Amino acid sequence: MHCRILLAIFAVVGTVQMACADSPSVTAVLSNSEATVGETVELQIKVTGPGDARPPEEISIDGLEIHSTGTSRQFEIHNFSTNSSVTYNYTILPLRAGRFTISPQTVRAGGKILRTPELALNVADAPGKAPTTTRPGRGAQNQTTSAGDLVFAELIVPKKTAYVGEIVPVQIRMGFDARVHPRLTEPPDITGQGFTAQKLQQSSQNLETINGRPFEVVTFKTAIAAARAGKFEIGPVKAKAQVVVPRRRNAPRSRSPFDLFDLDDPFSDPFFSNPFAQFGERRDIQISSEPVALEVKPLPPNAPPSFSGAIGSFTMATDAKPKSVQVGDPITVTTTISGRGNFDRVNAPLLEDDRGWHKYPPSSKFKQDDEVGISGTKTFETVVSPNENKQTLPVLAFSYFDPAKEQYVTLHSEPMAIAVQGGAAAPAVAAQPPSSSPPTAARGRSPGADSNKPQDILYQLTEPSRTVASFEPLYTRRGFWMGQSLPLAALFVFVGWKIRRARLEDREARRIGALQHEAAELMHKLRRDDASPREYYAEASRVVRLKAALASRNRGVDPNAVDAEAAAETFKLDTDSRDRLRRLFEQNDEWQYSGTHNGPGRISPENRRDVLELIENLK
Amino acid sequence: MKNCTFLIALLFCAGSTASAFAQSDAEFAKANQEFAKGDFKEAIAGYEGLVRAGQWNANLFYDLGNAYFRTRDFGRAILNYERALALDRHHPEATANLQIARDESRALELQPTRVERYLQFASINQYSIAAAAAFWLGIFGIVALILARRRSTTLTLLSILCLLVCGMAAWAIRTLDNGSEGRGLAIVTGNDVQARLATADTANSVLALPPGSEIKILSTRGDWIYAALPNDLRGWIQTKSAEQVRL
Repeated sequence: MHCRILLAIFAVVGTVQMACADSPSVTAVLSNSEATVGETVELQIKVTGPGDARPPEEISIDGLEIHSTGTSRQFEIHNFSTNSSVTYNYTILPLRAGRFTISPQTVRAGGKILRTPELALNVADAPGKAPTTTRPGRGAQNQTTSAGDLVFAELIVPKKTAYVGEIVPVQIRMGFDARVHPRLTEPPDITGQGFTAQKLQQSSQNLETINGRPFEVVTFKTAIAAARAGKFEIGPVKAKAQVVVPRRRNAPRSRSPFDLFDLDDPFSDPFFSNPFAQFGERRDIQISSEPVALEVKPLPPNAPPSFSGAIGSFTMATDAKPKSVQVGDPITVTTTISGRGNFDRVNAPLLEDDRGWHKYPPSSKFKQDDEVGISGTKTFETVVSPNENKQTLPVLAFSYFDPAKEQYVTLHSEPMAIAVQGGAAAPAVAAQPPSSSPPTAARGRSPGADSNKPQDILYQLTEPSRTVASFEPLYTRRGFWMGQSLPLAALFVFVGWKIRRARLEDREARRIGALQHEAAELMHKLRRDDASPREYYAEASRVVRLKAALASRNRGVDPNAVDAEAAAETFKLDTDSRDRLRRLFEQNDEWQYSGTHNGPGRISPENRRDVLELIENLK
Repeated sequence: MKNCTFLIALLFCAGSTASAFAQSDAEFAKANQEFAKGDFKEAIAGYEGLVRAGQWNANLFYDLGNAYFRTRDFGRAILNYERALALDRHHPEATANLQIARDESRALELQPTRVERYLQFASINQYSIAAAAAFWLGIFGIVALILARRRSTTLTLLSILCLLVCGMAAWAIRTLDNGSEGRGLAIVTGNDVQARLATADTANSVLALPPGSEIKILSTRGDWIYAALPNDLRGWIQTKSAEQVRL
């Protein structure tokens, strides 16, 4: 029952989340914006958001051969928030050199028509294949294999030249024979000096047929940036893996019937054709690729003032809110820089003329469109406040170096009209300082401050202080904890007093209990008819004493010290009862001190009844 | 004989204390005179000497803040106004001048959370006293309940209430002490200070911090401080660029 309720809650929450999810969006990125003829480039169109998406039916561009290579879906749930995306992969094969523009493609998703951003691809004539491939195969010269051609690694760097700081995307492909059950124990690492590499991201894992053999090919993507000019060797890429290979045998192995040409193919081992013929052993192998040469050129001199090291291809859009303010009020200028390049060096655009403006430090956030953060959008929010009347926002300038054009490019924002009210460009007024203080230099006003309001600090305090203060909070000071010993001591005293009082009360209670018990026993005896007069009067007077001691307000009264008068006084007896009580005590004394033979041997029933009545009425 | 020695020692201590106070008063008066003459650097040296001697009080830090303000060192001016307010949270002159200095330097402030704002109606010391008093009342009540022959409902409720007050006061102390104005509060005193993403001068900048900006130190690594910054940001700044308010 509970399970059903829980499932229902999850279903409702899920439905609500799905219903409340963001509207669908689409992005498109190229794995490389520059390529040579014959070199393939990947195009990814990613649709994020709810609903079924329909990709572009066909992308047709003259000079480019574009084929769909598959679709991948991602569905994530984080804290009841769902996020789904579909990525459509395409391979672009440039057929000729030139600059190609991939126009916005239409994608239908969630009942909406979305358009991808326009992408540019520069294709150069192929001087030779740039990537270094090291694939298994007897004829390959640049082959770097290990463990008997079971694995290969290749480092693909799409460029042979780059500029200092330019982000160069890099692919690492690691292939494993599909039958060796590979397990990567150490991820690939690009060795070399003079460049920084971003964190490796595993991009895909496919089954490919290379030289007629099936290989599991794992592709990693990263990006490198050279730190200085010069000629570098990128790589080699090194990794470690475990593979299952046939056990070594002393006897020469039998050749496969298909190994007709004595190719010494490791896969001709019977282990691969019949796994049960012989158990394999797991072996650690090291995989490495060939290094790739990269020539790094320095950036040209005479960089514009707003250049902060950004290299790539970018566009800029600017907006400001609000557009009607008072002098000193803040205006938030939002600048969006999109494109492809080293976004870590993309800083906020500069104000070309900031006279009459106060600028606060900007904040920024970056949304990347690919795995390694080469493509994306960086948004800056800069708060500016006018110190005087202004009609337009200052122009913002952002400069970057375009490696394709090999020159610096400066982007400028469009002049934006604003309305500033409340005051001319009056200089700040310095206040007349107090008598004890010398004059102060003129200072600027604070934003939003009244233009006529003097702005000076208050006077000095010349009175010395007799007490030395401490920054330490009270609870960290030793005195505070020492002071707690006082209530602690008081607590001990309190506990001791309470315990002593309880003990005293217990003792008194026990005494009273004993007296009550004795009185009850004696009353029981008195009601019996077998006691001698001496015993009877002794017991009767004892009961009177006990009752008087119990009834006394003074709890410490000893019953033996109670006489007839004291007992009569305790019970506030009338004259007749006092006389009877006195007589009872006298008779007791008489029986105690004068012997047992000076009277009758037994007490008459009347006397007994009289005594009992007297004692029972003592309350 | 022993009593006589003790008395002499007591008199000597009293004399030394009085002499120290008289000396610090003289130095304070001298620094004030330097300030009045417009020799702010001398005044700062005088006030700083008293600070180094441990003669801390709100007025001293306030005057030192004024001296720094006159030299247009707004970062240290704000730092010392904050120190004056840390010692005396109701120091009206320090409050006023702190606002002026912040306006001048356009310093950024840490925003206290809503809980902190509510809790700031009392100081940490007041919460400490309240916690201690409530604790002992609660303990006395519980002991009385344990030792009493008959359980009193009123006493039980009062004891629970006292312990609750003690717990809330302790929580308030912890919240304020770790909050935006707690022991981690520091003031940026350097110029052109940039909070960075990593402990390197070449690391990307998170936020430019004008002098006098507030930060909250979270941890220290070598010459770098990892700090909570205004606008809910976090970043690394060099240790020499900021000073902690609490000495």
